[in-house]
Amino acid sequence: MGVVVLELADVSKVYRQAERVVPVLQDISFSVARGELCALVGPSGSGKTSLLNLIGLLDRPSAGTLAIDGARVTDCSAAAAARLRNRLIGFVFQSFHLLPRLTAWQNVALPLQYRGVPRARQRAQAEAMLARLGLADRSTHLPGQLSGGQNQRVAIARALIGSPRLLLADEPTGSLDSATGREVMALLAALHAELGLTIVIVTHDQQVAAACPRRIALRDGRLAGSADE
Amino acid sequence: MTAPRPAVWNPPPIALRLGDTLAEGWRNLRAQGRRSALALLGIVIGTAAIIAMLNSGHMAQRAALKLFAKLGVDMLQIQAASTGAAPAQLSRAAIEALPRHDRAVLQAVPLAIGRSAVRAHGLTADLATLAAPPALGALARLPIAAGRALRAIDDCTLATVLGAGAARALSAPAGAIAPGDTVLIGQYGYTVIGVLAPVAIETLDPVDYNLAALLPPGCAARVIPGGGPNALLVRLRDGAQGDAVGQRLIARFAAPGLSLTLLDARTILRTMQQQRAIQSRMLTAIGAVSLLVGGIGVMNVMLMSVMERRREIGLRAAIGATPADIGLLFLVEAMLLSAAGGVIGAALGGGIAYAIARGAGWTFALAPWTLALGPGAAGTIGLVFGLYPAIGAAGLAPIEALRAD
Repeated sequence: MGVVVLELADVSKVYRQAERVVPVLQDISFSVARGELCALVGPSGSGKTSLLNLIGLLDRPSAGTLAIDGARVTDCSAAAAARLRNRLIGFVFQSFHLLPRLTAWQNVALPLQYRGVPRARQRAQAEAMLARLGLADRSTHLPGQLSGGQNQRVAIARALIGSPRLLLADEPTGSLDSATGREVMALLAALHAELGLTIVIVTHDQQVAAACPRRIALRDGRLAGSADE
Repeated sequence: MTAPRPAVWNPPPIALRLGDTLAEGWRNLRAQGRRSALALLGIVIGTAAIIAMLNSGHMAQRAALKLFAKLGVDMLQIQAASTGAAPAQLSRAAIEALPRHDRAVLQAVPLAIGRSAVRAHGLTADLATLAAPPALGALARLPIAAGRALRAIDDCTLATVLGAGAARALSAPAGAIAPGDTVLIGQYGYTVIGVLAPVAIETLDPVDYNLAALLPPGCAARVIPGGGPNALLVRLRDGAQGDAVGQRLIARFAAPGLSLTLLDARTILRTMQQQRAIQSRMLTAIGAVSLLVGGIGVMNVMLMSVMERRREIGLRAAIGATPADIGLLFLVEAMLLSAAGGVIGAALGGGIAYAIARGAGWTFALAPWTLALGPGAAGTIGLVFGLYPAIGAAGLAPIEALRAD
């Protein structure tokens, strides 16, 4: 295993519902090395998305620690977490989460905006990223004018624009037909191969999981096994 | 794991992000279209009312001061009317002695005011006759258009100076009245020695000079019953209490068979201002209530906007917007929305002020600072009422927001 990008130690998450405490994740420990492409699999309700939210610094663990690039990230403020997300993490969502009123390049440029990159540079970088993903001629289209596959590629461009250490994808093919889904997976695999990008994909799609060299399985909020090929 | 905390990089300069935020806010407002416009209505009405109020107050003030432009506001006028059969008479000597007896009085001019039919060239005009010492000409700044003004040497002569309107009324088509002509006032033929240029009527003018024949004070009894002064103009020293001096003078000149009326420039001005204060309080109340309602409207629109855009908020949070960034986005939108209403309201208020000026016959003039005040006040309203929705947006948990539909 190479340089560790992501490390979880005894991470637990509980939700409080009225008087009851509902454990969602219990004692999760694993690490992901730079350049790994792993799938986080498990039946629905097993805590995959909750775990991804913790890794993505969108939520905080109830116990345990989490480190990205060897730095502890579990107990920082909301603002500091936002800046860490901007710098370290790229997100790809099942439903794309593109802002409908922004053109493709404006959507891609959003993370740069929160980094304080000047507007002219934002556009140049966003268009360059879209061109790399084969969407050069779509940069001024609105999401409503693009197909699902194109929208997901715009979303991937947005995730990549900030050169993240970690790309987190939550069911990236879930809203796409199987052919388009395979294209998107092929794109992610190509990015992984070309850029040496570290990617964690949450999926319950066997084909998607099979395309990943490493699979981390969850069951009832516990690690059910980690398989490498 | 005892790794050090990662170095959190410095946030980008606020000005840079503010530019992006302003651009985005503007885009979002445009996208909301009609709903934004409806929320603006209250702000527009409120701003318009306040701008109209401030400007009409400003113009009314100027119009009021114009009524005292020639004589100034340090003036009193006392008119005597008879309650019996004999004509009202004041003591000329007592009037002329006033500046020596009352420290507050700078100058006192005795006036004899009457009315006569005046004839010339076979034409008749009903004119005010005003017998006054030459000092009146200087005090009231009466402009001579032709000939000369009355002087001390004219005393008791049959000389007169006609107002512009009086001269016109007595001019035959064949030839205008000019100095040297003779006019018949009552039973006496007077020689016209001068004609006045037209003058604007002011509050303290004893007569309308345009429709008057000015006479020397001596021998005024030829045409004015009694011939003695029946009114006086008093110029006060700076800072003298007009109403107090007025009461003193009334007491001094009071006599059986006389009814004295006091006109005090400052009191008249104050009465006008009090009436206007009632109007402007009303407009201010309308403005304040409208702005409040408008502010609540803006808050409502922003709360709805936050609700509808939870997914956007979640996405922005995921890609690196801090709670402050998100709060700022909604706050800027609220302020832009309100300020836009303020701009429209300022224009509308200017229009209303123009209409008020036309209706009241004032000269239209806008105080430029009031136009800046409109959008400024509205923007402040946006800031105050946008704060609550903005804080709500900033406080949304990213995962809840992302999950919203």
